[in-house]
Amino acid sequence: MYGWIWRHLPGNAWVRALISLVLVFAVVYVLFQYVFPWAEPLLPFNDVTVDGQ
Amino acid sequence: MSVRALVRTFSELCITVGALIVLFVVYVLFWTGVKADHAMDSQIDALQGQWARGEISAGAGAGDEPAGTPPAEPAPYQDGKPFAVMYIPRFGFTWNKPVLQGTGTDVLKKGLGHYANTAQLGQKGNFSVAGHRRTYGDPFKDFPKLRPGDPVVLTDGTTWFTYRVDRRPYRTLPGDIGVIDPVPRKSGFDGPGRYLTLTTCEPEWGHSHRLIVWAHLDATQPVEAGKPEALRR
Repeated sequence: MYGWIWRHLPGNAWVRALISLVLVFAVVYVLFQYVFPWAEPLLPFNDVTVDGQ
Repeated sequence: MSVRALVRTFSELCITVGALIVLFVVYVLFWTGVKADHAMDSQIDALQGQWARGEISAGAGAGDEPAGTPPAEPAPYQDGKPFAVMYIPRFGFTWNKPVLQGTGTDVLKKGLGHYANTAQLGQKGNFSVAGHRRTYGDPFKDFPKLRPGDPVVLTDGTTWFTYRVDRRPYRTLPGDIGVIDPVPRKSGFDGPGRYLTLTTCEPEWGHSHRLIVWAHLDATQPVEAGKPEALRR
Protein backbone atom coordinates (compact mmCIF):
# COMPACT_ATOMS: atom_id res chain seq x y z
CA MET A 1 0.00 0.00 0.00
CA TYR A 2 2.67 2.49 1.04
CA GLY A 3 5.00 1.11 -1.63
CA TRP A 4 2.30 1.69 -4.21
CA ILE A 5 1.89 5.33 -3.09
CA TRP A 6 5.64 5.83 -3.15
CA ARG A 7 5.92 4.47 -6.69
CA HIS A 8 3.16 6.77 -7.93
CA LEU A 9 4.62 9.98 -6.47
CA PRO A 10 6.46 12.13 -9.01
CA GLY A 11 10.04 13.36 -8.80
CA ASN A 12 13.18 11.98 -7.24
CA ALA A 13 13.49 10.52 -3.74
CA TRP A 14 13.75 13.93 -2.01
CA VAL A 15 10.65 15.31 -3.72
CA ARG A 16 8.77 12.11 -2.93
CA ALA A 17 9.80 12.30 0.74
CA LEU A 18 8.62 15.91 0.90
CA ILE A 19 5.27 15.08 -0.70
CA SER A 20 4.89 12.10 1.66
CA LEU A 21 5.46 14.39 4.64
CA VAL A 22 2.83 16.82 3.37
CA LEU A 23 0.42 13.93 2.84
CA VAL A 24 1.02 12.67 6.39
CA PHE A 25 0.31 16.14 7.82
CA ALA A 26 -2.81 16.44 5.69
CA VAL A 27 -4.10 13.10 7.00
CA VAL A 28 -3.35 14.05 10.62
CA TYR A 29 -5.09 17.40 10.11
CA VAL A 30 -8.21 15.78 8.69
CA LEU A 31 -8.24 13.27 11.56
CA PHE A 32 -7.87 15.89 14.30
CA GLN A 33 -10.20 18.39 12.69
CA TYR A 34 -13.04 16.18 11.47
CA VAL A 35 -12.77 12.46 12.25
CA PHE A 36 -11.77 12.48 15.94
CA PRO A 37 -14.25 15.20 17.00
CA TRP A 38 -16.93 13.01 15.48
CA ALA A 39 -15.68 9.83 17.15
CA GLU A 40 -14.90 11.25 20.57
CA PRO A 41 -18.52 11.71 21.80
CA LEU A 42 -19.04 7.98 21.23
CA LEU A 43 -16.72 7.41 24.21
CA PRO A 44 -18.14 7.64 27.74
CA PHE A 45 -16.17 10.70 28.92
CA ASN A 46 -18.99 13.10 28.00
CA ASP A 47 -21.62 11.69 30.35
CA VAL A 48 -21.38 14.08 33.26
CA THR A 49 -25.02 15.06 33.79
CA VAL A 50 -27.77 13.36 35.75
CA ASP A 51 -30.61 14.06 33.33
CA GLY A 52 -29.20 12.29 30.30
CA GLN A 53 -28.96 15.40 28.11
CA MET B 1 -1.40 -11.67 -5.62
CA SER B 2 1.61 -13.38 -4.14
CA VAL B 3 1.83 -14.39 -0.48
CA ARG B 4 4.55 -11.78 0.02
CA ALA B 5 2.25 -8.96 -1.16
CA LEU B 6 -0.56 -10.21 1.04
CA VAL B 7 1.61 -10.33 4.15
CA ARG B 8 3.07 -6.92 3.38
CA THR B 9 -0.36 -5.33 2.89
CA PHE B 10 -1.64 -6.91 6.10
CA SER B 11 1.36 -5.62 8.06
CA GLU B 12 0.92 -2.15 6.64
CA LEU B 13 -2.73 -2.20 7.64
CA CYS B 14 -1.81 -3.22 11.21
CA ILE B 15 0.74 -0.42 11.45
CA THR B 16 -1.82 2.05 10.11
CA VAL B 17 -4.47 1.00 12.63
CA GLY B 18 -1.91 1.17 15.44
CA ALA B 19 -0.86 4.67 14.42
CA LEU B 20 -4.54 5.70 14.24
CA ILE B 21 -5.17 4.47 17.78
CA VAL B 22 -2.11 6.25 19.14
CA LEU B 23 -3.19 9.46 17.39
CA PHE B 24 -6.70 9.14 18.80
CA VAL B 25 -5.36 8.69 22.33
CA VAL B 26 -3.20 11.79 21.84
CA TYR B 27 -6.31 13.63 20.65
CA VAL B 28 -8.49 12.57 23.60
CA LEU B 29 -5.91 12.99 26.36
CA PHE B 30 -4.02 16.00 25.10
CA TRP B 31 -5.61 17.85 22.22
CA THR B 32 -9.13 18.15 23.72
CA GLY B 33 -7.44 19.76 26.75
CA VAL B 34 -5.55 22.25 24.59
CA LYS B 35 -8.72 23.14 22.72
CA ALA B 36 -10.84 23.35 25.88
CA ASP B 37 -8.32 25.53 27.74
CA HIS B 38 -8.27 27.88 24.79
CA ALA B 39 -12.08 27.90 24.56
CA MET B 40 -12.49 28.46 28.33
CA ASP B 41 -10.00 31.33 28.30
CA SER B 42 -11.83 33.00 25.44
CA GLN B 43 -15.18 32.50 27.25
CA ILE B 44 -13.76 34.18 30.37
CA ASP B 45 -12.28 36.97 28.25
CA ALA B 46 -15.65 37.46 26.55
CA LEU B 47 -17.39 37.57 29.95
CA GLN B 48 -14.95 40.07 31.42
CA GLY B 49 -15.21 42.24 28.33
CA GLN B 50 -18.98 42.07 28.59
CA TRP B 51 -18.89 42.98 32.28
CA ALA B 52 -16.53 45.87 31.62
CA ARG B 53 -18.83 47.21 28.89
CA GLY B 54 -21.96 46.43 30.93
CA GLU B 55 -20.77 48.50 33.85
CA ILE B 56 -20.11 51.45 31.57
CA SER B 57 -23.47 51.24 29.84
CA ALA B 58 -25.32 50.72 33.14
CA GLY B 59 -23.64 53.79 34.57
CA ALA B 60 -24.47 55.88 31.51
CA GLY B 61 -28.01 54.58 31.23
CA ALA B 62 -28.87 55.09 34.88
CA GLY B 63 -29.59 58.77 34.41
CA ASP B 64 -32.03 58.19 31.58
CA GLU B 65 -34.31 55.85 33.49
CA PRO B 66 -37.02 57.30 35.69
CA ALA B 67 -36.06 57.27 39.34
CA GLY B 68 -37.58 54.60 41.54
CA THR B 69 -37.72 51.87 38.92
CA PRO B 70 -37.90 48.62 40.89
CA PRO B 71 -34.93 46.29 40.41
CA ALA B 72 -35.81 43.82 37.67
CA GLU B 73 -35.89 40.07 38.07
CA PRO B 74 -32.62 38.52 36.90
CA ALA B 75 -32.74 38.09 33.14
CA PRO B 76 -32.78 34.49 31.89
CA TYR B 77 -29.41 33.21 30.79
CA GLN B 78 -28.79 32.89 27.07
CA ASP B 79 -28.40 29.32 25.91
CA GLY B 80 -24.78 28.35 25.34
CA LYS B 81 -23.45 31.69 26.56
CA PRO B 82 -21.20 32.21 29.61
CA PHE B 83 -22.66 34.13 32.53
CA ALA B 84 -20.39 33.46 35.52
CA VAL B 85 -16.92 32.35 36.55
CA MET B 86 -16.41 29.63 39.17
CA TYR B 87 -13.47 29.40 41.56
CA ILE B 88 -12.77 26.33 43.71
CA PRO B 89 -9.62 26.87 45.80
CA ARG B 90 -9.48 23.14 46.61
CA PHE B 91 -8.73 22.47 42.91
CA GLY B 92 -5.87 24.93 42.93
CA PHE B 93 -5.49 28.62 43.56
CA THR B 94 -5.51 29.46 39.87
CA TRP B 95 -8.44 27.17 39.05
CA ASN B 96 -11.23 29.18 37.46
CA LYS B 97 -13.72 28.10 34.82
CA PRO B 98 -16.54 29.82 32.95
CA VAL B 99 -20.10 28.64 33.58
CA LEU B 100 -22.27 28.45 30.47
CA GLN B 101 -26.01 28.00 30.12
CA GLY B 102 -27.02 24.45 29.18
CA THR B 103 -25.46 21.01 29.54
CA GLY B 104 -25.15 19.94 25.89
CA THR B 105 -22.00 18.27 24.62
CA ASP B 106 -20.90 21.39 22.75
CA VAL B 107 -21.44 23.60 25.78
CA LEU B 108 -19.37 21.37 28.05
CA LYS B 109 -16.46 21.63 25.62
CA LYS B 110 -16.22 25.33 26.43
CA GLY B 111 -16.67 25.30 30.19
CA LEU B 112 -18.97 24.13 32.95
CA GLY B 113 -22.66 23.76 32.12
CA HIS B 114 -25.60 25.10 34.09
CA TYR B 115 -28.66 22.81 34.08
CA ALA B 116 -31.22 24.92 32.23
CA ASN B 117 -34.17 24.08 34.49
CA THR B 118 -32.48 24.82 37.79
CA ALA B 119 -32.26 28.04 39.80
CA GLN B 120 -30.13 30.98 38.76
CA LEU B 121 -26.93 31.89 40.54
CA GLY B 122 -27.59 32.97 44.12
CA GLN B 123 -31.37 32.60 43.77
CA LYS B 124 -33.66 30.41 45.90
CA GLY B 125 -33.52 26.83 44.68
CA ASN B 126 -30.71 24.69 43.42
CA PHE B 127 -28.09 26.20 41.11
CA SER B 128 -26.78 23.04 39.39
CA VAL B 129 -23.64 22.75 37.30
CA ALA B 130 -22.11 19.84 35.37
CA GLY B 131 -18.50 19.51 34.24
CA HIS B 132 -16.05 17.11 32.65
CA ARG B 133 -13.93 15.07 35.02
CA ARG B 134 -11.61 13.86 32.28
CA THR B 135 -10.86 15.18 28.77
CA TYR B 136 -11.64 18.72 27.66
CA GLY B 137 -9.29 20.30 30.16
CA ASP B 138 -10.19 17.95 33.05
CA PRO B 139 -12.06 20.74 34.93
CA PHE B 140 -13.44 18.46 37.66
CA LYS B 141 -10.44 16.11 37.85
CA ASP B 142 -10.02 16.57 41.63
CA PHE B 143 -13.75 16.31 42.34
CA PRO B 144 -13.40 13.52 44.98
CA LYS B 145 -11.07 15.75 47.01
CA LEU B 146 -13.90 18.15 47.90
CA ARG B 147 -14.64 18.14 51.63
CA PRO B 148 -17.28 19.70 53.90
CA GLY B 149 -16.55 23.38 54.40
CA ASP B 150 -14.71 23.86 51.09
CA PRO B 151 -15.69 27.11 49.40
CA VAL B 152 -17.09 27.22 45.88
CA VAL B 153 -16.99 30.84 44.76
CA LEU B 154 -18.83 32.27 41.77
CA THR B 155 -19.14 35.73 40.33
CA ASP B 156 -21.59 37.08 37.79
CA GLY B 157 -19.73 40.34 37.34
CA THR B 158 -21.64 42.25 39.99
CA THR B 159 -21.64 39.95 43.02
CA TRP B 160 -19.41 37.34 44.62
CA PHE B 161 -21.30 34.26 45.81
CA THR B 162 -19.53 31.97 48.28
CA TYR B 163 -21.05 28.52 48.65
CA ARG B 164 -19.83 25.99 51.22
CA VAL B 165 -19.70 22.26 50.52
CA ASP B 166 -21.86 20.34 52.99
CA ARG B 167 -20.76 16.75 52.65
CA ARG B 168 -18.33 14.51 50.87
CA PRO B 169 -19.01 13.66 47.21
CA TYR B 170 -22.05 11.45 46.83
CA ARG B 171 -22.07 8.62 44.29
CA THR B 172 -25.27 7.94 42.42
CA LEU B 173 -26.72 6.54 39.21
CA PRO B 174 -26.95 8.53 35.96
CA GLY B 175 -30.75 8.73 36.10
CA ASP B 176 -30.94 10.11 39.64
CA ILE B 177 -32.40 13.46 38.62
CA GLY B 178 -33.54 14.14 42.19
CA VAL B 179 -30.06 15.33 43.09
CA ILE B 180 -30.70 18.60 41.22
CA ASP B 181 -34.17 19.18 42.71
CA PRO B 182 -34.71 22.57 44.40
CA VAL B 183 -34.26 20.71 47.69
CA PRO B 184 -31.98 17.90 46.53
CA ARG B 185 -32.91 14.43 47.62
CA LYS B 186 -30.50 12.66 49.99
CA SER B 187 -28.47 15.84 50.43
CA GLY B 188 -29.41 16.31 54.07
CA PHE B 189 -30.98 19.72 53.36
CA ASP B 190 -34.38 19.78 55.04
CA GLY B 191 -35.97 22.92 53.64
CA PRO B 192 -35.91 25.38 50.77
CA GLY B 193 -32.74 27.40 50.47
CA ARG B 194 -30.08 28.66 48.12
CA TYR B 195 -28.18 25.56 47.15
CA LEU B 196 -25.50 24.56 44.66
CA THR B 197 -25.06 21.14 43.06
CA LEU B 198 -22.04 20.01 41.06
CA THR B 199 -22.16 16.83 38.99
CA THR B 200 -19.51 14.91 37.08
CA CYS B 201 -18.88 11.36 35.92
CA GLU B 202 -17.80 8.42 38.07
CA PRO B 203 -15.60 6.42 37.74
CA GLU B 204 -13.00 8.80 36.42
CA TRP B 205 -12.92 7.41 32.87
CA GLY B 206 -16.34 5.75 32.87
CA HIS B 207 -20.00 6.62 32.77
CA SER B 208 -21.70 4.03 34.95
CA HIS B 209 -22.25 6.45 37.85
CA ARG B 210 -22.24 10.15 38.71
CA LEU B 211 -20.50 12.00 41.50
CA ILE B 212 -22.44 14.77 43.21
CA VAL B 213 -21.45 17.56 45.59
CA TRP B 214 -23.93 19.80 47.40
CA ALA B 215 -23.26 23.21 48.87
CA HIS B 216 -25.28 26.04 50.38
CA LEU B 217 -24.94 29.79 49.90
CA ASP B 218 -22.80 31.08 52.74
CA ALA B 219 -22.08 34.70 51.85
CA THR B 220 -22.44 37.28 49.11
CA GLN B 221 -20.68 40.55 48.55
CA PRO B 222 -20.58 43.11 45.74
CA VAL B 223 -17.53 42.98 43.48
CA GLU B 224 -16.66 46.52 44.60
CA ALA B 225 -15.90 45.07 48.05
CA GLY B 226 -13.05 43.02 46.59
CA LYS B 227 -12.46 39.30 46.49
CA PRO B 228 -14.20 37.21 49.13
CA GLU B 229 -12.21 35.77 52.03
CA ALA B 230 -12.09 32.31 50.46
CA LEU B 231 -10.09 33.56 47.46
CA ARG B 232 -7.54 35.58 49.40
CA ARG B 233 -4.22 33.93 49.79
